[in-house]
Amino acid sequence: MSSTTTARAGATAAGPGGRKGKVRATDRARAEARLGWYLAGPAFVILVGVTGYPILQALYESLFSFRLTAPADREFIGLRNYGVILTDSLWWSAMGNTVLITVVTVAVELVIGFALAMVMHKVLGWLRPVVRTAILVPYAVITVVSAYAWQYAFGLTTGFMNAVLPFVGADFDWFANKWTALTVICLSEIWKTTPFISLLLLAGLAQVPDDMLEAAKVDGATARERLFRVTLPNMKASIMVALLFRALDAFRIFDNVYIMTKGAAGTETLSALAYNQTISRLEIGLGSAVSVLLFLCVLVICFIAIKVFGVDLARARGES
Amino acid sequence: MAGHWRTRVGTVSVGLLLASTLGACGSGSASTGTPTLNWYINPDNGGQATIAAACSEASNGAYTIETSILPSQAAAQREQLMRRLAGNDTSIDLMSLDPVFVPETSEAGFLAEIPADLQQRLSDGVVDGAVQAATWKGRLVAAPFWANTQLLWYRKSVAQAAGLDMTKPVTWQQLIDAAKAQDTAIGVQGTRAESMTVWVNALIASAGGEVIENPEAKGPDIRLGLDSDAGRAAAQVMEQITAAGVAGPGIDNRDESATANLFQQDGADFMVNWPFVYAQAKSAAEGGTMDAAVFEDYGWTTYPEVVAGTPSAPPLGGIDIGVSAFSEHRAEAFEAVQCIVSQENQAAYMLSDGNPAALTAVYDDPAVQADFPMAETIRQSLEQAAPRPQTAYYNEVSQGIQDRWQPVSEVTGSTPAASGEFIGQVLRGEKLL
Amino acid sequence: MGAMSRKEKGLWYLGALFIVLYALLPVAWIVSLSFKAESDLANRSFLPTNATGENYSGIFSGDGAELFLPALRNSVIVCLVATVIAVVLAMFAAYAIARLDFPGKRLVLTSALAVAVFPVITMVTPLFNLWRQIGLYDTIPGLVIPYLALTLPISIWTMSAFFRGIPWDMEQAAQVDGATSWQAFRKVIVPLAAPGVFTTAIIAFFIAWNDFVFGISLTSTSRAQPVPAALSSFTGSSYFVQPTGAISAAAVIVTIPVVLLALVFQRRIVAGLTNGAVKG
Repeated sequence: MSSTTTARAGATAAGPGGRKGKVRATDRARAEARLGWYLAGPAFVILVGVTGYPILQALYESLFSFRLTAPADREFIGLRNYGVILTDSLWWSAMGNTVLITVVTVAVELVIGFALAMVMHKVLGWLRPVVRTAILVPYAVITVVSAYAWQYAFGLTTGFMNAVLPFVGADFDWFANKWTALTVICLSEIWKTTPFISLLLLAGLAQVPDDMLEAAKVDGATARERLFRVTLPNMKASIMVALLFRALDAFRIFDNVYIMTKGAAGTETLSALAYNQTISRLEIGLGSAVSVLLFLCVLVICFIAIKVFGVDLARARGES
Repeated sequence: MAGHWRTRVGTVSVGLLLASTLGACGSGSASTGTPTLNWYINPDNGGQATIAAACSEASNGAYTIETSILPSQAAAQREQLMRRLAGNDTSIDLMSLDPVFVPETSEAGFLAEIPADLQQRLSDGVVDGAVQAATWKGRLVAAPFWANTQLLWYRKSVAQAAGLDMTKPVTWQQLIDAAKAQDTAIGVQGTRAESMTVWVNALIASAGGEVIENPEAKGPDIRLGLDSDAGRAAAQVMEQITAAGVAGPGIDNRDESATANLFQQDGADFMVNWPFVYAQAKSAAEGGTMDAAVFEDYGWTTYPEVVAGTPSAPPLGGIDIGVSAFSEHRAEAFEAVQCIVSQENQAAYMLSDGNPAALTAVYDDPAVQADFPMAETIRQSLEQAAPRPQTAYYNEVSQGIQDRWQPVSEVTGSTPAASGEFIGQVLRGEKLL
Repeated sequence: MGAMSRKEKGLWYLGALFIVLYALLPVAWIVSLSFKAESDLANRSFLPTNATGENYSGIFSGDGAELFLPALRNSVIVCLVATVIAVVLAMFAAYAIARLDFPGKRLVLTSALAVAVFPVITMVTPLFNLWRQIGLYDTIPGLVIPYLALTLPISIWTMSAFFRGIPWDMEQAAQVDGATSWQAFRKVIVPLAAPGVFTTAIIAFFIAWNDFVFGISLTSTSRAQPVPAALSSFTGSSYFVQPTGAISAAAVIVTIPVVLLALVFQRRIVAGLTNGAVKG
């Protein structure tokens, strides 16, 4: 290789090389796209497979009257299952319970979660890891275990709550009445999931610029004003995300209800209703229709959150 | 492009390999020599496992029985078995079935037909109710193994103070009056569970009615007998219990176990319950957690009457042994069934697990009589007992009853009609449950 | 923040005390229950009259052992396998998302999001039907596969967030030195990413360990039944006796590993949860 050839090659590259560079870039882009799909493909296929297949299958099954123990009587009935469900008061009371649980738990969790996040944010020294470890305990405990703990605590024979609480008698049966039963269900749900919310909010708190708070303080803003004028507005994105994720999670509530009441005393929720039709009654058609409707509800919540409240998930998830 | 293709095939085959090795972990069990029979059992104190071992031993290598435990609730046991059988699962050979689910299992074709001569042998000497409960469309489809029934339990001292003559059958009305006069409660099961159906059915049957008039019909054609004089008589008993204030604390979540505790702890001096309460009290008295004098005060008689002078129809429970239609070892399975339900094993099971035998002869066994002073009452109760509705749609009927008859405090004269209408709608696919 | 008055400081410390009580009381209660004797369960007080280990011996060697030990084994196997698969797959996906530019990147992220909010109960019936047809019902792989739906989405986000924080110049430097993208990934990025991967694995394990719906719907015997499902099918010393003591003891046992993980890796888990979730 002589130096002249090298120089000529260099000149060519620098001259009309714009085109050649572009070709190389697209080659590179194509290779990158291919690698991207090789890497992300398997996860994507599984994600789509384990949810896409079931929802399509459920859509199909929901058009039949089909009982697992009477396969010979399987019959196409169109949308009749949906008609039955949507005109049934049980569906609407389960819907009411689910919405109530969602609204109450998420609202309470936001307030408590914010308070916990503030404490975690402010506490320093050796207490900091202690507090952060403690808060992880409810997060790590299995929902079923939490459900049993709360159920036994309020249970008529096993519980100590009736002895401790001043406003109920020793024989008060928390699980006999819809509202008191729902209260205990919500307590267990709140206990278990508040840490998650408070950790999301803690991350949001860390993003509130300290100098802004200092400036507000110098300007003579009270603690209250600083909270509502500086801290909260700066945390809007993380609050919204915490809210949406917890709401969707609460909307699927099943474990606590199944363990504590199995839907007795009017505490049926949508997930428990779907479980009862398909798994307990083995009415695959009717149950599939309930499942599909539950899925549609989740879609609606997502749609409202994103379109109406403008939750920016892309930003929240760290995409740029 | 060939390169891409190869990579993709590689990924897929790795996935398959992974799936198949994982699959290999899940299944297992050797298939050499003696066939292994899988017996799905309801949870107990280990008696069925002992019987399985004994029968394997006695078969001289003809078969080995392995047991798998099902969940504790009857409805959950049904769920598990039905889900497996609907998949034509060959891994089930024998199953312990709650009699209420025998019709559905048989109707779906999940039970192997019992040869005619064996049908005869398996029902000889068995209490009447248990044979009835294991029969579907005129044929015995499962082997009665043990038969349970509820008795009326009372504190002798309190019954005496109330002036009740417990040597003669008492009525619900007498009990309610006595409990009210003595300021105590009647331990009944008011939780939303199978025990609710047990109670409702016993009341209706005792009043001479039946929950389903044409049990063999298909779901939509089933005629319910809830809206009847017997149904209203049953509702009236519950109304009176509420009105007299003798339901006791926590009735709405009280199951059999909670009832037994209530009775043990003086919260109720009368109760209807299965015989396990006696064994429980005995061990508590021996263990010192309960006053021995209280245990001495335990009395028992047959289930209360709804209509004075008409013998009651006590609840009937128990377990039947079915052979799966998909079993690959059917002949051996039927051999095993005969061994499991033999008189010897039934007696041993009654002694080890406290579950009353289905064969009447067992009650003459001196060992049984020594351990169960109420053996004669149990046998009599079993002879009188009425099975719960025998229908392939039992789950719907039972859940429907639980839904409308619970809480007990809200039962009124219109409950029978309302529950009948509701269950009809559910069976016609017009309502959720 | 340094300028905190003594009173203010005291208040926050009081708050810290409240958090610790809040988090630990229910756990302490179930521990206390697990040490109560059967006749003591109805004593209606927080603590046992006489602590006894009979509930523990019951589930480890007594009547409950037949149900509990296989369930514990199943839970450990299923959760570990599901975690490993999810983390490996998510690691590749997260690398692609954080580092590469490819069409459909948003699609992958959106579908992960969609799966995370998908009502689990909707998956159950069709999977149950398919599983019993192809023989996966009541098997370990029959649980591992749906568990991936629970663990993959959060693994992908958490790791994408971690990967974004990695100094990528080092990878580029490696590429300039002649390494391919793959080599750069393996030699430079993997060691840097290991803490993030590890944290993700813990979080994914928590989620798999928590599952109840798949456990009760897709299994039926000790062949594959995980602990949460087994808990709900526990039985007492006789058919009609409530198994409160046994359930409490088993609940304590399944809580120990996750609480230990939380104790040991507190800082990492907090970082993982907060990083993956919110980043502006």
